[in-house]
Amino acid sequence: MLFYIAKRLMVMVIMLFLIATMIFLMFRTMPGDPTASMVDPSIPREARQALLERYGLHESLWTQYQIFVQDLVRLDFGNSFFYNRPVLRVIGDRLPATLILMLSAMLVAYLAGVLGGAWMAWHRGSPLESVGVTFSLIFRSAPTFWVGLMAIMVFSVALGWFPAQGMRSTGYTGDTFFEIFVNRDFLRHLILPSIVAGFYFLATPLLIMRNSMLEVMSEDYIEMARAKGLTERRVLYHHAARNALLPVVTAGALFIGAAIGGQVLIEVVFSWPGLGREIVQAVTRSDYPLAQGVFIIISAIMMFMNLVADVVYAFLDPRITYR
Amino acid sequence: MGKMHIFRMALACLALSLVVSCGGRADVADEDMGAPVPNLVILSSLPEANRVNYEMAQELAEELAKIGVTLEARPTDFSVLLDVLYGEDMDYDAYTIGWSGRVERLDPDMFIHSINHSDNAVAGANNTSRFSNAEFDILADAQRQEMDVEARREIVWRAQRILAEEVPRITLYSRANVQTYDKTRFTNMVNMSGEGLFNEWSPLVMEPLSQDHTVPVVASNINITNLNPFAARSVYDWRNLRLIYDKLVRLSPQVEPEPWAATGWEIVEDTVVDVTIREGMTFHDGKPVTVDDVVWSYQTWMDLPDSYFASFTNPIESVEARDGQTVRFVLEAPYAPFITTTLTQIPIVPRHIWENVGDVTQYENARPVGSGPFKFVRFRPGEELVTERFDDYFFPVNIEGYIFKIYASPEGVLSDLELKNVDVISYDLIPAHINQIKNNEGGRFSHLELTEAPDIGFFYIGLNNNRPPFNNADFRRALTYLVDYDYALDVLLEGYGSRGGGGLVINAANEFWHNPEVPIYDTYDPEKARELLAEAGFTWDSNGRLRMPR
Repeated sequence: MLFYIAKRLMVMVIMLFLIATMIFLMFRTMPGDPTASMVDPSIPREARQALLERYGLHESLWTQYQIFVQDLVRLDFGNSFFYNRPVLRVIGDRLPATLILMLSAMLVAYLAGVLGGAWMAWHRGSPLESVGVTFSLIFRSAPTFWVGLMAIMVFSVALGWFPAQGMRSTGYTGDTFFEIFVNRDFLRHLILPSIVAGFYFLATPLLIMRNSMLEVMSEDYIEMARAKGLTERRVLYHHAARNALLPVVTAGALFIGAAIGGQVLIEVVFSWPGLGREIVQAVTRSDYPLAQGVFIIISAIMMFMNLVADVVYAFLDPRITYR
Repeated sequence: MGKMHIFRMALACLALSLVVSCGGRADVADEDMGAPVPNLVILSSLPEANRVNYEMAQELAEELAKIGVTLEARPTDFSVLLDVLYGEDMDYDAYTIGWSGRVERLDPDMFIHSINHSDNAVAGANNTSRFSNAEFDILADAQRQEMDVEARREIVWRAQRILAEEVPRITLYSRANVQTYDKTRFTNMVNMSGEGLFNEWSPLVMEPLSQDHTVPVVASNINITNLNPFAARSVYDWRNLRLIYDKLVRLSPQVEPEPWAATGWEIVEDTVVDVTIREGMTFHDGKPVTVDDVVWSYQTWMDLPDSYFASFTNPIESVEARDGQTVRFVLEAPYAPFITTTLTQIPIVPRHIWENVGDVTQYENARPVGSGPFKFVRFRPGEELVTERFDDYFFPVNIEGYIFKIYASPEGVLSDLELKNVDVISYDLIPAHINQIKNNEGGRFSHLELTEAPDIGFFYIGLNNNRPPFNNADFRRALTYLVDYDYALDVLLEGYGSRGGGGLVINAANEFWHNPEVPIYDTYDPEKARELLAEAGFTWDSNGRLRMPR
């Protein structure tokens, strides 16, 4: 097992290196001069040149690449052109907000998805089952920004239950992690976006759980459990659902990687100060170091979560072993 | 037989006139005409970046097709467009772009000299129309050196007359800056053209209407990125930094230079200006503001080749302290905008902090210390910048501070406006939101006051005056009749803006410098365009294609 993990990690490093190279080239081949978004066209030409030199963009592509790789090995992603700060610190500032929103959305989606999916499979063919499927698919296919705007209109503006925008009230003081994230003000701001995001992500766990349950339900041990005279509920959640969870877990691990990107629109609609907004801005403003850093880190997270999914799988299902 | 002959002749004539339906001189053979007008490309904005420019380029292509000129409208990414316009090759025919109406552009130097003088028609400079006119150049130079304002205005007015007649570019429209604030909470707001509500003055003079809410929340839909004045590159960074840092001169709401951190200036010679510093000012950390700080700040700006203010500090040859209260600026040549643009822009930074930071552009400046009317309290990227009133400031400020709150979308701001979480907005409302606030369904926006300020910036069709057919002034004038200015303003901008016209660079919003007596070509009249072209010797060949005069 350990050998397997080590092998996978090795492959991961090589993959990451290839991805980093691709990302590096992608941004360099993007049309337009990065200084275009940084300086006003009215500033003198020499000023633009000086700026290019400051960021090392006047060097040949090969030299730029060498520097990029040397820095990358030391996990130094450079300074953001716009923020004048190390990329890792810019990302570090924004990552918690994104992660918390993502995890709460995941909690909503997986709690509702797993329980609902199991229930739906059990009551296959009932009208409530089709309501559930339709409901989740509507939220999956409706544009998230639209759902978000509607939710703000109804629950914030009309009913006044939740704040409409941001992560905390205007002028809120507090700087440590606990002051920022562990208090009622923050939770009130968190509820609406995480429900909207949760409903968006709901279809995946719900449908996977339902299908997986349907398979499990035809297994002999379910028949056995029933024969023992256990209650419906006990058979459903204790025997069937636990075994049906496997594919949902895999999907969940992959979800974390994908959600950072998938959450961008939610962050925009709710003015959530997360990483998603930063990615979009970095790309549109040609802030190479920041954009590169974010994409490399997201790829790393994706790959790592893939590995985690595989390992967890082995723990959950004794039939699976890795060599 | 004779009748038959006449009939045939008539038929042949009819057929011929159908072929050369575009009029012109059908009696001249194609090979005797001038060279055909080359096929042209207009680099327009992408529809998502600027829909009005995009549509107007498409319209122009259609209009030109009707008079026998092929123009391909090619939507182009903004940064790519800048690469082309400012690149070495200068390889383009026409384009759409705009100049934003920043406050420093109220001074006519930018829109007269920088974008029209033939010295700047070289690669990388701002005269991207490559306009070159000797008579105009003399005026453009003269206005820059004329230190007397009235005399300078006279020159600027004459320069505008030439531009209107020569049409180096065709201005399409200017946007109106429509913004809003909560009139139930604050009063005495200042609305400035090119700046809107969150200008330098509103925070200084606005008054809270109740004692419970004395810190206005200013909404922005664009992030602030940098609090280091030597590295800040966006207008949005500056709108805040200029309230934290102070400047020697500020432009009054009537756009006249007003002594600020200076108590006055004396023009010793055309190239020598002495500025007297106000006594008793302190930085937010309690240290006094001295001539030393002023000299050091200007010197540092001058030494930075790529600074945001490079165009304004370049004309300074040297800066030095004359005595404990006076700073002497020596200019390389007489430079009239020195007081209105240079002295009103350069922020004074505390030397005792900055001289120890190494490369000033790389310093993070996480907690800015200035001598302006507002003290920095905290900044959370993507969320808010909080300031409080600097009580030792020489000018009495009514509000106790302000919060610059950052939103990700204008829709978010609108819902917070409705919920009364926002007091002032700092960007131009989109037409849909203006209409929503105006309609005020259910009284949801009754607490808001809509304000409108005309913009001194403008969007235009750029023409490469070095290339046929745009090197022909008659063609450029004819072209002004092919642009539907009303369509741009009334349909595409829903009326929120002002009309453009040929060669219009200083519009009526800039009251002092705009020459109201200049006739501007600003009518849409394709027939007239045709007439003008024919008069100027343009012809249409047998394929209906427009040809240059011989």
